[in-house]
Amino acid sequence: MDSNVIAQHRILKHGSLIYYAGSAIFASGIALFAVGTAFIMMQKIHYGSEPEKIFLSSIFIGVGATMILTGMNMMMRQTRYGYHLIGAGTFASLFALLVFTYNYPQKWYYPLINYVLALYVVGLLVLVGNAFANVVLWMIEGKPDTVMRREVQRIYTDEEIERDIEDATRKSIELSASELIFKEPYAKDVKYGKIFHEKRGTTTRIKDNLDEVTSLVKTVNPGERIKSGSAEIEGASKNLLDILRVGSVKKSKSREIKDKIVDTMERFYSLITVKRGG
Amino acid sequence: MAKGIDIGTMNIICSEKEDGDIVFTQERNAFLELESSDLTKTMMDSAQVLYIERDNVVYVLGEDAFKFATIFGKTARRPMKSGIISPNEKDAIPTIKLILERVLGEPRYRNEVLCISSPADPIDTNMNALYHKKMMEALARKMNYKTHVIDEGLGVVYSELSEYNFTGLGISIGAGLTNVTLAYLATPVMSFSIGRGGDWIDEQVSITTGLSREYVCSEKERGFKIGLEVEYGSAYGALSIYYDALMTYIIKNINRKLSEITPPKVEFPVALAGGSSLPEGFLEMFERKLREAKLQINISNIKRAKDPMYSVSKGCLIAARAQEGEEIGHEEVTEEIV
Repeated sequence: MDSNVIAQHRILKHGSLIYYAGSAIFASGIALFAVGTAFIMMQKIHYGSEPEKIFLSSIFIGVGATMILTGMNMMMRQTRYGYHLIGAGTFASLFALLVFTYNYPQKWYYPLINYVLALYVVGLLVLVGNAFANVVLWMIEGKPDTVMRREVQRIYTDEEIERDIEDATRKSIELSASELIFKEPYAKDVKYGKIFHEKRGTTTRIKDNLDEVTSLVKTVNPGERIKSGSAEIEGASKNLLDILRVGSVKKSKSREIKDKIVDTMERFYSLITVKRGG
Repeated sequence: MAKGIDIGTMNIICSEKEDGDIVFTQERNAFLELESSDLTKTMMDSAQVLYIERDNVVYVLGEDAFKFATIFGKTARRPMKSGIISPNEKDAIPTIKLILERVLGEPRYRNEVLCISSPADPIDTNMNALYHKKMMEALARKMNYKTHVIDEGLGVVYSELSEYNFTGLGISIGAGLTNVTLAYLATPVMSFSIGRGGDWIDEQVSITTGLSREYVCSEKERGFKIGLEVEYGSAYGALSIYYDALMTYIIKNINRKLSEITPPKVEFPVALAGGSSLPEGFLEMFERKLREAKLQINISNIKRAKDPMYSVSKGCLIAARAQEGEEIGHEEVTEEIV
């Protein structure tokens, strides 16, 4: 199997594990949150309730909310520092709850309450912010993994199979035609006129450095080897950027915005369809 | 050093790099048969006429064939028809070989890279360009060139659309065929040809006006301007009408082919080249028609090649030099590994 395919499989497997762990944490969080809510309702918790009951309901709700957000984040495709942010957010929230458990109710006074609450809220906001940023990024740039996986396993149509066969046949014919050797029985009888070998034909000279050759080589082989730290790196990066920007070759601003909106809507629709389907 | 060659129905044009210049060497792809005699040959030698003699028959080659045809009231024979080797001309291949030998010259070294332009298969006629392509390759290989073939339309893209990362629609309107290639990052997405070009215009004008095809062709090449103001009985009126018809036909076929594919969602520039795009007013009329046609792709801008006659040949030279550079690169890498 190709090394790229193996790497791709490994990444997919790793991605699946995190996804399933996230799902479990998310489900547990929902359960804890539900238990906490039910506990509040059943015990009719109010300002003057017993501290043990308030403590228990706070822990259920607090841990549940943190787990819900952590699980949601883990189920999403992350950016480069995404998992660090999840870790930091979760740690901040849980640490705040831990401080709460040690200090409530005997030492539960201001300004400690401010610090603990602030830490908890910051943790939750980091998790919410990371999830929001990922969703926005995904809608603008990426494709959902589910759609990508469906593309990998697509089934070829009859038309595509026929076209592939036609291409293969054509290549085979071309190869066999290349091996032909032609005889020239007439060649020895030819007598050339006086000027035949004197000059090659009408010539025209045009000043041109033929810079297109370099551009063509770079366009066809964008991944050409360049020594690390060389001055060419800047040029190659610019070239790659130009290639990536081809999508916007002379594109008007309004058209660009229109395309982006249509594209985002299509992706959003495909996500909804995928979720409904499975 | 590498060379490029555009083997067209009307002209064979070789291109090569010399110092800071590109040198184009061209010859008409035509010949005329004359009876051989010592007097004829002496006269031709002193008048510096390009000819060969075989089986007591003199064959005048290239531009001179057209001149002699006019003098003797004959029709010059053409080794190629509709962009490929003429199936009706038994001397087609030997004649093309002679013109090729003359225009190309000897390779500077064995296996010098030569990129040859070839028409794509036409979509409106029952014709296949494979035989033509293979024959041209074989002829060049016999001359010790290392051959590489590209579609004519791709040649236009290489030559004219480098500033767009070789993305766009390259159209070469030649004498026998019109070749079209839609390329994305130098890779052809779609390539085809249409069985009409300058020769079709000459033929139609000749039929409708009663003028000879050679005369119509010479009038067309003598600074003809596409326009609505024409003299009664002149070829110009008919030429304008048939140019209009040709453009409509080309654009309709491009749109038809585009509807069969799913091109990338980018705006494509269009480059026009080929001898039949030379008349003044061609670009303006084509642009108007193309915009009105509402193609299946978004067109950004339309331009005509700086030198429409040499565009395909230059594109071949670019491809040949790029190929040669790659081969040298590969060799260097192999040496490094060894």
